[in-house]
Amino acid sequence: MAADTNKFVIPIGPQHPALKEPANFEFWVDGEIVTGASVRLGYVHRGIEKGAEARTWTQNLYLMERICGICSHVHATAYTLGVEKLAGVKVPQRANAIRQLMAELERIHSHMLWLGVAAHEGGFDTLFMYSWRDRETVMDLLEKISGNKVHYSANLLGGVKFDITSELAAEIHKGLDFLEERNHFYMKVVTTDETFIGRTQDIGTMTTEKAEFLGAIGPTARASGVARDIRVDAPYLIYDQFPVKVMTHTSGDLHGRFIVRINETFESIRIIREILDHMPQGELTTRVPRRIPAGEVVSRVEAPRGELLYFIASNGSEKPERVKVRTPSLCNWSTVLSLAIGLKLADMPMLLSGIDPCFSCNDRSISLKRGQQGPQVWSWEKLRQYGIEYYR
Amino acid sequence: MASTIGSLGAAEAVLKPFAKAINRPQPERLEVSIHPDDLLAAVRALVDESWGYLSAIVGLDRPGQPVTQGESQAEGAIDVLYLFCSGAAVVTLRITLPYSQAAIPTISGITPTAMLYEWELREMLGVEVIGLRVTGHLILADDWPVGVYPLRKSFTGFNQPVAGAEGA
Amino acid sequence: MNLSLPPILALLVFPGGLFLIAGGLIYQWADRKLVARFQNRIGPRFIQPLADTLKLLAKEEITPVGVHKGLFFALPAIALAAALTAGLYIPLFGFQPASSFRGDLIIALYALSVLTLTMGVAGANTISRFSLVGATRTLTQLFSYEAPFLLSLLGPAIAAGTWQISEINTYAGQNLWLMIAQPIGFVVAMIGLMGKLELPPFDAPEAETEIVAGAMTEYSGRGFALFRLGKDVELIIGLTLVSAFYLGGLANPLEFVFKTLALLLVLALLQTAFARLRIDQTVGLWWRAGALLAVVQLIAIVLGRNLGSIF
Repeated sequence: MAADTNKFVIPIGPQHPALKEPANFEFWVDGEIVTGASVRLGYVHRGIEKGAEARTWTQNLYLMERICGICSHVHATAYTLGVEKLAGVKVPQRANAIRQLMAELERIHSHMLWLGVAAHEGGFDTLFMYSWRDRETVMDLLEKISGNKVHYSANLLGGVKFDITSELAAEIHKGLDFLEERNHFYMKVVTTDETFIGRTQDIGTMTTEKAEFLGAIGPTARASGVARDIRVDAPYLIYDQFPVKVMTHTSGDLHGRFIVRINETFESIRIIREILDHMPQGELTTRVPRRIPAGEVVSRVEAPRGELLYFIASNGSEKPERVKVRTPSLCNWSTVLSLAIGLKLADMPMLLSGIDPCFSCNDRSISLKRGQQGPQVWSWEKLRQYGIEYYR
Repeated sequence: MASTIGSLGAAEAVLKPFAKAINRPQPERLEVSIHPDDLLAAVRALVDESWGYLSAIVGLDRPGQPVTQGESQAEGAIDVLYLFCSGAAVVTLRITLPYSQAAIPTISGITPTAMLYEWELREMLGVEVIGLRVTGHLILADDWPVGVYPLRKSFTGFNQPVAGAEGA
Repeated sequence: MNLSLPPILALLVFPGGLFLIAGGLIYQWADRKLVARFQNRIGPRFIQPLADTLKLLAKEEITPVGVHKGLFFALPAIALAAALTAGLYIPLFGFQPASSFRGDLIIALYALSVLTLTMGVAGANTISRFSLVGATRTLTQLFSYEAPFLLSLLGPAIAAGTWQISEINTYAGQNLWLMIAQPIGFVVAMIGLMGKLELPPFDAPEAETEIVAGAMTEYSGRGFALFRLGKDVELIIGLTLVSAFYLGGLANPLEFVFKTLALLLVLALLQTAFARLRIDQTVGLWWRAGALLAVVQLIAIVLGRNLGSIF
């Protein structure tokens, strides 16, 4: 019972069992049918962009890693790549190989985490439990390499901290065999389970044109047939030597997003094996000056959720002038709000998780404390009106 | 790499009429400085050409440096950078806005994805986005004081607790 | 097995009342433990359901704004009472029902429906949005599974030629297991039971990722504990009914334990095997498939009886 209108509003968040992180969605429903949606972000803003300006280049590496608890490595990688480019430093190939290896392990862990969360939102707790159990394998591998399960801190400015020894390589191979087998099982479940297909097929279908129009990126866009992947479009690290295949799907619905992500997991497993078998020899680090030459640089990497863009400006001092982070989840919100209309309330949690939202992705700019007034929301009607009037 | 150079060349040809200055800071980047009045036309030209997609809008605060002889400070400016990506190529449209005229037209009519970025720009750097049809806060707290823009260099935190907020 | 006890004891202690509640808690534990093991989790300890209940009973009960106070407090008690009443007519723990008369099958089933109904009303009584949606779903689901479930229990009743639960139980014990004789009816009864208990995949009325706890969202403390106990009792009664009718009757406590636990095992397996159905999918499934199957089974039974076959 909305205070202002006679619409029946179902609030999801900021505290709600469907959300593990705070955000606020309001769905206006007519019976079970959703007729409108709005979002309010920013409950956990941490002021990271501002904070970066007060820290040294090295300190920032660890700050950036803490933007996200799931894709920490990829943030640090984007940052170091940018800084190294500014400094004009050439990083040894072995370090790049290890970075890429970590990034792909992280992708596996992120996609399996998503698989579990999405299944849970759809009430398929068994798949949730299984995928999270098996995800432990990849997290254990990451722990063996770096000593940490989440914030690996593998990157240094100018290289990496950890080497992959032959024993480690053997363990990773073993872990990957297990993960591959498990993911084949999940693929089977996702594509054959009747109730699961009933909950995902033709739900939230997004055409290729719509995906491009709404600016979708990452697996969400690729499930709609948009073949856009920074690893292929603008290879960084050593993705040019160990290329990945872009996984796309044509259906554009939730089901497609499941298939694309599981396929990407297989692709990551393949890439990791290749890297392990053809690991370049050499040093792990090179020297990076304490003061970074003045300049501006754009650094783009493919995070598990899509394109991650760092814009780094230096004024030649020990601290950056500006670090701008454009995270992938931000781009995909508009797809959710637009696709929600006309679906059932029961589809909302799955649709929300379908883009693999990462709230730490969004909420990084700045914050003091929560406000006491009612939330000001970005109404769907405004957004739609906007689109209708302006997009001609 | 060849295709990157090619698409940068295409972008350069499209943007040439609007450019005040063109430079290439890195091999895969093209930076075009334009006048705020030309922004819409330049973005429109890129979109009409289907050149890439808008990837981010970056605001850069450049406070005026103290002038050595006099006591007065030169007026600062805010650079607004529109980053368009196509494959590996990145095109930057750079607009410099003095503090006193910190306003740009919205491009969200041309590329709707710009809306969130412009909203953030307005909220964090205090650049008025003319025609942006959203009000209220996107990311800052609802009781954030008016006229305080956290990403400006002049903002160094609150010394006293803000009235109404639980702390600072 | 027959047992003659003073009616007051039968009502309050055994087999109704305390024993029924204790049994319900044990079966709740067994259900949770089985599901947990199937999902590769550890699951609760044996004492957990009792601990939960005692904790809830001892806790403050919050009365939300905007509810009808009388209803808010009365409904949980009615729910539990309805479930316990149903327990009087069924062969619990393999003993003869505490009370038995012609047509008690209908009474027992409707007492169980009252439980669901009270939960729906309890949800509709509040002004919480989650509760309201949950209540709508609970009642929608009630209307969809009720008919097929009733029809599926009617099959054995027609076969036995009586509406008295104890007599159907005896009939089932003396003849071929009705699970084999009426396989369709058995399947519909099992799925109907899952719908009735709002177990996955029919748990849309309490889908936590959408509407928190559904109709129960605003309940806490004692009221919530009573509703939960009602649910536990419903679980054990449902299992008893289906196993008495379809698994060759319940003649003694040993048979009761084996057959109901076997049924619970199947139930737990089914709970883990599916994703949650949307409420529209649930309703569609029931009216399109469930009701139709049950009717087909009924026609087969009637034909079989008239033609004098094994039915």
